[in-house]
Amino acid sequence: MARRVSTGSVVLRFLRRLGVSLLSVGLAFALTMLLQPLFPYPFLFLFFGAVMASAWFGGAAAGLFAVLLSTMLVEYFFVPPVHSFSISATAEAYFAAFILCALAASWISSANKKSEDALQEALDHLETRVSERTAELLKTQTELAHLSHVLSMGELTASIAHEINQPLTAVVTQGHACVEWLSADPPNLEKVRHSVERIIQDGTRAGATISRVRALFKKEAPVRDWLDVNEVVHELTVLLRDEAMRRGIHMQTELVPGLPKVNADRVQLQQVLLNLLMNGMDAMDNVTARRKELIISARVEEANVIVCVEDSGKGLDAETAENIFTPFFTTKPHGVGLGLSLSRSIIEAHEGKLWASARPSGGAVFQFTLPASDGSDA
Amino acid sequence: MPEPRPIIFIVDDDASVRDAISNLLEAVGLRTKSFASTEAFWKEQRPDVPSCLVLDVRLPGASGLEFQQTLIKHGISVPIIFITAHGDVPMTSRAMKAGAIEFLMKPFQKDDLLAAVRQGLDRDRVRREQDAEVAALKAKLAQLSQREREVMDLVVTGLINKEVGARLGLSEVTVKIHRGRVMQKMEATSLAELVRMADKLSAHP
Repeated sequence: MARRVSTGSVVLRFLRRLGVSLLSVGLAFALTMLLQPLFPYPFLFLFFGAVMASAWFGGAAAGLFAVLLSTMLVEYFFVPPVHSFSISATAEAYFAAFILCALAASWISSANKKSEDALQEALDHLETRVSERTAELLKTQTELAHLSHVLSMGELTASIAHEINQPLTAVVTQGHACVEWLSADPPNLEKVRHSVERIIQDGTRAGATISRVRALFKKEAPVRDWLDVNEVVHELTVLLRDEAMRRGIHMQTELVPGLPKVNADRVQLQQVLLNLLMNGMDAMDNVTARRKELIISARVEEANVIVCVEDSGKGLDAETAENIFTPFFTTKPHGVGLGLSLSRSIIEAHEGKLWASARPSGGAVFQFTLPASDGSDA
Repeated sequence: MPEPRPIIFIVDDDASVRDAISNLLEAVGLRTKSFASTEAFWKEQRPDVPSCLVLDVRLPGASGLEFQQTLIKHGISVPIIFITAHGDVPMTSRAMKAGAIEFLMKPFQKDDLLAAVRQGLDRDRVRREQDAEVAALKAKLAQLSQREREVMDLVVTGLINKEVGARLGLSEVTVKIHRGRVMQKMEATSLAELVRMADKLSAHP
């Protein structure tokens, strides 16, 4: 990491370091002056503390400066003969020991400080890396979620095409009828009006289907909004209706009217629902012994809205139930194994829960919760 | 006797499509009756007039193709025009082999639908005439005595009176008298006509 530091700030930092030394040694000196009368020998321990503190807060240079200051003060004030820079022969060894100890204290303290600083820096660096990686992972996950969603939408192409083709057929046929009523003699204007009204209705219906599909494919950063779960379920089941019919599945919704709204991203919520519904349909592919049914229900329980997708498919054995939310776990021949794990992380990001259980009458139940609005926000 | 007014039945679960088809057919002067499901059509008392059925392939519950089989099994021979948005070939050929008039892809053109409907009604008219003829023949056949019936069965195979007599243990004269009554009761003017009648009766037992 390159740091640009001006000369001024270098000088300032140097002075601050010396200041630390002056301050701590001064403090030690004052306290020693106070305490010295209590001891029959030179009381010098507080100076070690001052040296260590200087080295810790000011670095090695400040430590050495503190050693120098302390040595001078100690020699002048405390080593006999006091109040002179001369040293008596008996005090020489004692004074030398003081200097050595002070140097050692300075060195240990500054070395300690250095390694702690290095550790702190490493920690900071690590933290930055972790948050960078987390952001990358989140981005990848969003992209994967979109991809897996687009893939499952691909399976729906026929169903969507049907849903658009129906009103188009009606429009073309009503158009022909309109021409016939106009060419009658006299033209039957009442019938013409009826035909044109139906054309408007059917054209609008085709347009609405296209908007639904476009909304589903939209790739945008998630936006939380207050949503009506019933409406989201309805929008999706319209697109899935034909697919269900083609597979001989009775799809039915059991929605409680007037559910409280949930704070969620519409596209993500549809992704989760679509994933659960397609899974349910796939699970019933080889079922012949019982009626193929897919039931989507929504209700409110305590402070949550619970959405429930039930199928009468092959059900969940113990191993599957345990692994079903693990990424890349799949029971489908061409499955990628991401749908449910992505769905779970989407729901958890919405402060909800997603879980699976066996259906008592055969098949599986997938349920998720979303915190319900208390009515003050929507 | 003027022909009774034909009727076109429409079965499609989509109200828009149902309404559009019935509107178009009514615009060209045809009578229609629409149903949202095959069950509703099945329960309906259908008038005894030339008719055909415009049937959606994809329906909730039993598909249009399955319903075609049900109708055949119950001897209901209303001509069927299939409409579908998913016209895969195997489906088409299966329906056509089972006697469907046409397999129209949504959205279809007016002329294709009208041509198919007309063809369907024509086929139903022919069928109704044949049915009426067979019914009349059956009524005549019912008037024959046991012996006359035996004589007729042998005569139409090409046997001469003498051979018929030998088979039944009757004299040639007796056979001749029975044969005369058969021709009279069946209102046949020649042996060839009697043979044709017998063929028709054996084709519609």
